[in-house]
Amino acid sequence: MATDPESAAGQRIVEHLAARLRRRQVVGSRETALETVLVLRQVVSKARFSNIDQLVDTIRSVGRKLVEAQPKEYTVGNTVRKVLHHIREEYHTATRGAAAPFPSKPTFSIAKFVSQGQPRKQTASQRTSHETRGVLRENDADDPDAFARALKPVFMEAIQDVLDELETVYDNVSKVAKDHIHSDEIILTIGNSSTVEAFLKAAASHRKYTVIVADTAPSYSGREMAQSLSTSGITTVLVPDSSVYALMSRINKVVLGAHAILANGGMFAVTGSLLAATAARAHSTPVVVCSGQFKLTPQWNLYHEYGALDFADPSGVLGFEEGDLVDKVDVVNPYYDYVRPEMIDAYITNDGDHPPSSVYRLIKEAYDDEDYEL
Amino acid sequence: MTKAERRELQERQRATKAAAKASGPSTPATKPGATPTAKGTTQSLASAAKKSGKTADGKPVKGEQEDTSHLHTHAQVDDTTRGLRIFSHFGLPKSPSVTKGDVHPAIIRVGLQFSDFKITGANARCIAMLTAFKAVIQGYVTPPNNTLSRHLMTHLSPQINHLVLARPMSVTMGNAIRQLKLEISGSDIDLPEQDAKNALCTKIDNYIRDRIIIADQVIQETAGKKIKDGDVILTYARSSVVEKVLLRAWEDDKRFSVIIVDSRPMLEGKALLKALTAVSIPCTYLLLPSLPSVLPHATTLFVGAHSIHANGAVFSRAGTATVAMMAKAHNVPVVVCCETYKWSETVRWDSFSKNELGNLSVLCPLYDLTPPSYITAVVTEVGVIPPSSMSSIPAALGRTIGT
Repeated sequence: MATDPESAAGQRIVEHLAARLRRRQVVGSRETALETVLVLRQVVSKARFSNIDQLVDTIRSVGRKLVEAQPKEYTVGNTVRKVLHHIREEYHTATRGAAAPFPSKPTFSIAKFVSQGQPRKQTASQRTSHETRGVLRENDADDPDAFARALKPVFMEAIQDVLDELETVYDNVSKVAKDHIHSDEIILTIGNSSTVEAFLKAAASHRKYTVIVADTAPSYSGREMAQSLSTSGITTVLVPDSSVYALMSRINKVVLGAHAILANGGMFAVTGSLLAATAARAHSTPVVVCSGQFKLTPQWNLYHEYGALDFADPSGVLGFEEGDLVDKVDVVNPYYDYVRPEMIDAYITNDGDHPPSSVYRLIKEAYDDEDYEL
Repeated sequence: MTKAERRELQERQRATKAAAKASGPSTPATKPGATPTAKGTTQSLASAAKKSGKTADGKPVKGEQEDTSHLHTHAQVDDTTRGLRIFSHFGLPKSPSVTKGDVHPAIIRVGLQFSDFKITGANARCIAMLTAFKAVIQGYVTPPNNTLSRHLMTHLSPQINHLVLARPMSVTMGNAIRQLKLEISGSDIDLPEQDAKNALCTKIDNYIRDRIIIADQVIQETAGKKIKDGDVILTYARSSVVEKVLLRAWEDDKRFSVIIVDSRPMLEGKALLKALTAVSIPCTYLLLPSLPSVLPHATTLFVGAHSIHANGAVFSRAGTATVAMMAKAHNVPVVVCCETYKWSETVRWDSFSKNELGNLSVLCPLYDLTPPSYITAVVTEVGVIPPSSMSSIPAALGRTIGT
């Protein structure tokens, strides 16, 4: 690594975020994603590179460091991949800008898409003001910074796009809320997902309906959700988790949040989601998941049916006030559930609604194949 | 204000008044599509900050003053919102503070224990009730020109009503009372009073002994045969029968481990945990939402029942249906341990037909119905029965359907 002060400063920023991730001082999908984008923006603005591969390697190594710091927060890796994808796209646009935009009528087919990936968008006409006329000077020996100078503004814009997308997630997800929730419906939700909260509040300004929130023991995050919804005027009923099956026959829809959406269309979500989804399936009630697209993860859950990738403090289940029981008993407090794609009817994202069967396509469009392993 | 605005205000006030008069405290529809006021929510979340209901332009809705007065009575749940209406036919638990008629002190004590949830569980409540009845019968004096066999039942009616006020009657209590009525009406007229009373008390003791205590022993043996060394037994909340089965199997030197799944509102599983760890059975304890993480390790699920029904459904503590559903999905056999006196000839298919609400501010039904498709077998004292044969239990007991 270069030893000049700029890259040392860049390293410090990365180390700082990595330390915070490791210590769980940054928690929550969206927060970690935002922090990661900000760090990447700093890194790219300070980076020195004379061809695209150097920049990609720099970003990749930063990504690897951050992912190792906290492998359970998938959005860190997702954001890095997204930034790489955007950067490569800008680079391809810039290098191909001089050539004729439409060489031949492209033939589209699913087979081609699966083997070759997303056809590169031909946006040459919009970028003429930014691209350098003539040849991009890569690996120029006398002026190593020419390449970086030319393309950095474009890259910074691309990263700003990613940041904008993250910041407008709640607004975009809420746009379709009134189409999904109808008058006088009873909706079930669990946990305290900010995306679901925004979604339900947006619908409330158009429709009158009831929300039943399950406690979600042992974190009892359902209580905060119920409090927040009821103070914004939605009729809310708080119920213990044990009554989810009993009430399901009267519930019209189940709306859940996700922690991460996996490549097969399944998801990791807060504990209790699998119970709600299974009970809904038993009563043929639709299950929709509200989530930003930054949660799409090119990973699978192959080796266990349950998503116990993280455990929380067991004293929430059986505390020390139980006395000598604590020594004699095993207490389990997993934080996440894995919900199979068959349990979910639709993902409502900030970029439209998608069934679980098309999640693979979203991942292929959002990230580049070579980035799946950072 | 222009004429139009004044007219609009008048219309609104008129509508409010009419609606408030017509449907009591339900939400008057002042403007279609107005943001739902906080009225409905303050009834459902008693702890939430009470906002004064506002219409879109800030004027307080007329009907609200009437509403707030209703919030503090323990009357029938007022149905301003569909969410609460779905359970409004259950009413609310009331404390039996008003004692009408001659209610025996033993019954008053049992009633208090019921309403404070100090005595819970179908068996425990039935035994407590029958024991109190024995005290009532012993203290009973036949009025002149009356016979014990005819009058005692009318004497017992207010006692039973008092218990029902404390908590809705369980199926076990209902079946026991029906049997008691039969015994009372069949008691010999010529017997001196004290002998008749003693005979009745003996019959009550025999009922408890035969239908509960001995039945439990038979179930312990039968279910115990299903437990092998190395098994991981899953159970939910606390069933007195399942507790006995597990303790007996451990005494018989079977070495297994137990996973206890528990849930609010009652958190009864902790009591079971204490009982099992006292004899050093290895236990794992977790709350209901964490269930899917441990299911791959479980070999059998044992649950108890509040009542079993002719169509094979099992009415049990809220959450049992969820546990049975997940167990079925993971191919874990679901075994219900239940005495035959819990059998009810009604057919039930969802948890809404008869249920009980626990707490006022949180909507929580105390029971739910597990459909027969999730149940592998029911262990009773007359045998191990698949859910499809539940309707033949009275025949197995030598009775016609309906007794």
